Amino acid sequence: MNKSARRLRKICRGSAIFLVSVASIFCHCDTPSTEPGFRIVSLSPAMTEILFTLNARGSLVGVTTFCDYPEQTKEIYKVGDFSNPSMERIVGLKPDLVIVNLPEQMRIKKQLDKLQIKVFVSSPRSLDDIYREIAEIGGIVKKESVAESLISAMKMTIRPFGDDEKKRVYIELSPRPIVTIGAQTFLNELLEMAGGVNIFSDLKKDYPVVSQEEIIKRNPEIIILLHPDEIRDRLGWEDIDAVKNKKINRDINQDHLMRPGPRLVEGFKVLREIIND
Amino acid sequence: MTRYIPVILIFMIAVLVGIIVGPAHPTGEIIQLRISRVILGIFAGGMLGFCGCILQGLFGNPLVEPYTLGSASGAALGGSIGILIFGAISPIFAFLGSLGVGFFVFTIARMRGGLFRDRLILAGVVMSFLCSSLVMIIMVIGGRELYEILYLLMGYLGIIINAANRLFIILLIAISLVLIIFLYRYYRELDIISQGLETAAGLGIDIQKLSLIIFFTTSLVIGLTVSIVGAIGFVGLVIPHISKLLFGPKHLYNLPASFILGATFLLFADAVSRTITVYELPVGVVTSLVGVPFFIYLYKK
Repeated sequence: MNKSARRLRKICRGSAIFLVSVASIFCHCDTPSTEPGFRIVSLSPAMTEILFTLNARGSLVGVTTFCDYPEQTKEIYKVGDFSNPSMERIVGLKPDLVIVNLPEQMRIKKQLDKLQIKVFVSSPRSLDDIYREIAEIGGIVKKESVAESLISAMKMTIRPFGDDEKKRVYIELSPRPIVTIGAQTFLNELLEMAGGVNIFSDLKKDYPVVSQEEIIKRNPEIIILLHPDEIRDRLGWEDIDAVKNKKINRDINQDHLMRPGPRLVEGFKVLREIIND
Repeated sequence: MTRYIPVILIFMIAVLVGIIVGPAHPTGEIIQLRISRVILGIFAGGMLGFCGCILQGLFGNPLVEPYTLGSASGAALGGSIGILIFGAISPIFAFLGSLGVGFFVFTIARMRGGLFRDRLILAGVVMSFLCSSLVMIIMVIGGRELYEILYLLMGYLGIIINAANRLFIILLIAISLVLIIFLYRYYRELDIISQGLETAAGLGIDIQKLSLIIFFTTSLVIGLTVSIVGAIGFVGLVIPHISKLLFGPKHLYNLPASFILGATFLLFADAVSRTITVYELPVGVVTSLVGVPFFIYLYKK
């Protein structure tokens, strides 16, 4: 009797330890922040940067794993990655506002709409869109004046440079398939302000897949690669002006050009340098 | 033999079209680019047509093609995993995927007794479905690499050829050619098998062994093909039928005809894919788009 009771207790203790450890494995996630006040979940890395710049860190209760700038984003609860954030984690944070990126996060936006959670849509296609979104989110977090000064600081640097002759620039986002930027992107506008012209600015799609022939035919004077591949020894590319004159730029921080946030200023400076070189 | 002449003529036209037609004015370097593209087209179309033909002959089933047997889906899965891990397609991954899935199919088919040949089809179809769902999962996880995986699944002849991959591609093409020449030697056995399995067994053909050899060698070839140009659909399924309509059931004529017809067809499809828009369409989209009406027309005749 005594023996079996002891065994039972042993089993109980064992299974309790097992259960606790299993539970701790499953719950091994940094506990959500429970700060009072306005609670924002940002699924947009650019918006996360903007909120930091606006000193609205306190409102940010959740971000994605893609939100990697500034350094302090590490401390914020992660709701998943950019394309697949966890709905449960988002809802569990009881956010007052969720910032989503369109068109990539359409599915998430629809789900949030169904749950009647307020959504802020970020989908900038031009510099004006970016400024408008900064002003709007500034209004929401009650940092209107900071937002105003951020916008005017950005406008101060990012202004049209009136070079008479615009250089033909080709920007490659991925080598296989070959993806570049089309007209309706803020990067296209940024490039034009910096005194260049995107060789594919006639294409309506945001991020079109183009053929090598089209690139050779349009003969860019400057090539900007936003991926780690090499370009010099590509078959058939030898006679492109940019390749002949070695005007190929790699090692550019992709986030400076692809994230519609405060660091676009850095990207713009780099573009100016490249085009003036 | 004379029946080959028009087919070869059309093939020549396809090669010329491949070199002449395109958005840019054909200068020296553009032509260089197009020739490399034509070579890729001949290689991929030919391999798919040939493998489709030999598999349909072996299995005596008009629906069998590289995809039903899981090798193409396996290559796509391997390639997607490569994209997910390295952010860029690595041919070795696609190749390993094809072989790995081929091995699985083989093991499943052998688990129970009965006719090994027919079990291979069932196991292949099942594994194909598994691979497709795994690729879907990778696409969902990948997010940013989605485009790349999509083009791998649809097939893409416009790949960039540089000093790093040039030799590699030539080597892979050479290996594939050796492998299909090796397979071509079985044309007599295939003819006999299509007369019926009993006859074949009576004539002393080891069907199990033959299935094994053909199954694994085609898996190798398809793995190599998909690793370079992606999983181009339709060619492997329909080209053998067209070849049979034109050349009759004999594999001696049928197999090379499938190669040439597959190459011709893919070259035309590629010419369409790069001229109808300024964008680069995946060639796999065009193959079925152009191929289905053509097939219906031929079938009616």
